[in-house]
Amino acid sequence: MSAVEQGSKRSYVLLHVGNRRFALRSESVEELAPPVRLHHFPHTTALVAGVIVRRGRIVPVYDVAPVLCGRESSVHRFYLVARRNFGTESEASAIPVNGECELANGEIQPTMAGDPDYFSGSLNVGDEKIQVLNLEALVSSDATADDPARPAELRQ
Amino acid sequence: MKFATPDAAKPRRVRHSEAMILFCIANQTFAIAADAVQEIRSTDSLGGSAIEIEQAELPKVRHLVERARRTYYVVSGCAHFGLRVTRPTLVLILRQIRAAVLVDSIERMAEVSKIHPLPRGFEGEERKWYRGLTYLEDRVIPVIHPGGFLTVEEFARLDQAAAVSGATQQMEGAVQG
Repeated sequence: MSAVEQGSKRSYVLLHVGNRRFALRSESVEELAPPVRLHHFPHTTALVAGVIVRRGRIVPVYDVAPVLCGRESSVHRFYLVARRNFGTESEASAIPVNGECELANGEIQPTMAGDPDYFSGSLNVGDEKIQVLNLEALVSSDATADDPARPAELRQ
Repeated sequence: MKFATPDAAKPRRVRHSEAMILFCIANQTFAIAADAVQEIRSTDSLGGSAIEIEQAELPKVRHLVERARRTYYVVSGCAHFGLRVTRPTLVLILRQIRAAVLVDSIERMAEVSKIHPLPRGFEGEERKWYRGLTYLEDRVIPVIHPGGFLTVEEFARLDQAAAVSGATQQMEGAVQG
């Protein structure tokens, strides 16, 4: 592989949500956290399942399984902690995953027509086509606005 | 002439802490600054002096109480936070605003040395409800923003409803008299 080819490829973290694999750009990922206690309190934000405490910080946990897989994930959960951007600032944010994460290099393929906007492209890993997640779009309210399965009742 | 002492050169770490009241609504613990609470009364002791607001302007406020010539609107903690309905036994009468909050129980007092800002990922009503979060004995506890119980507009609507309610009661009293 030439230096140019190497340079055009990026590094991605492959993660399992439910029974599917997805990818996140590795530079946004901070750590894979163990299944620490999930703390709940009343709120009204869609997708937020609660918070975990990591390294003295309080990190919101987004349960993205209903959006990505159409149902709650029942597997034992680790937390993939990644940075979510808010304009010029960013915040540590966690996604429950089943723990099997790996690193892969690849060139991102553009999204297909009709793909949700929380996919920023796809990666070919072996024979598998893995969707690359756009974390900001995925966890924003808009991603679930049209989902009738998630009424806007209070969550805790 | 002054001699520098080793102690004078040391930066002093002042750890500020804030006294909090930990209270429960529907098995959920909340913290509120002790300074923000004027009085804690049992609901039984207020039963006689609570006046029902006939026009249900806000479902979470059904009563008002008069304390020290001020009208306090009684907010149901369950309804405010969207928790399952319980039977409150205490009412927290707040200091800076004309609101009182129905709660199930007081857990205890605690000194809180750090309040974490609410993560920006929380984008809903909770941004008005909470000052932030505190981590106390392996629990994350939301710290209440007292001003979040009722907005200025809600106070105005309640004042109007209370005035109408009071006028109606006066008229009824006059007719009966």
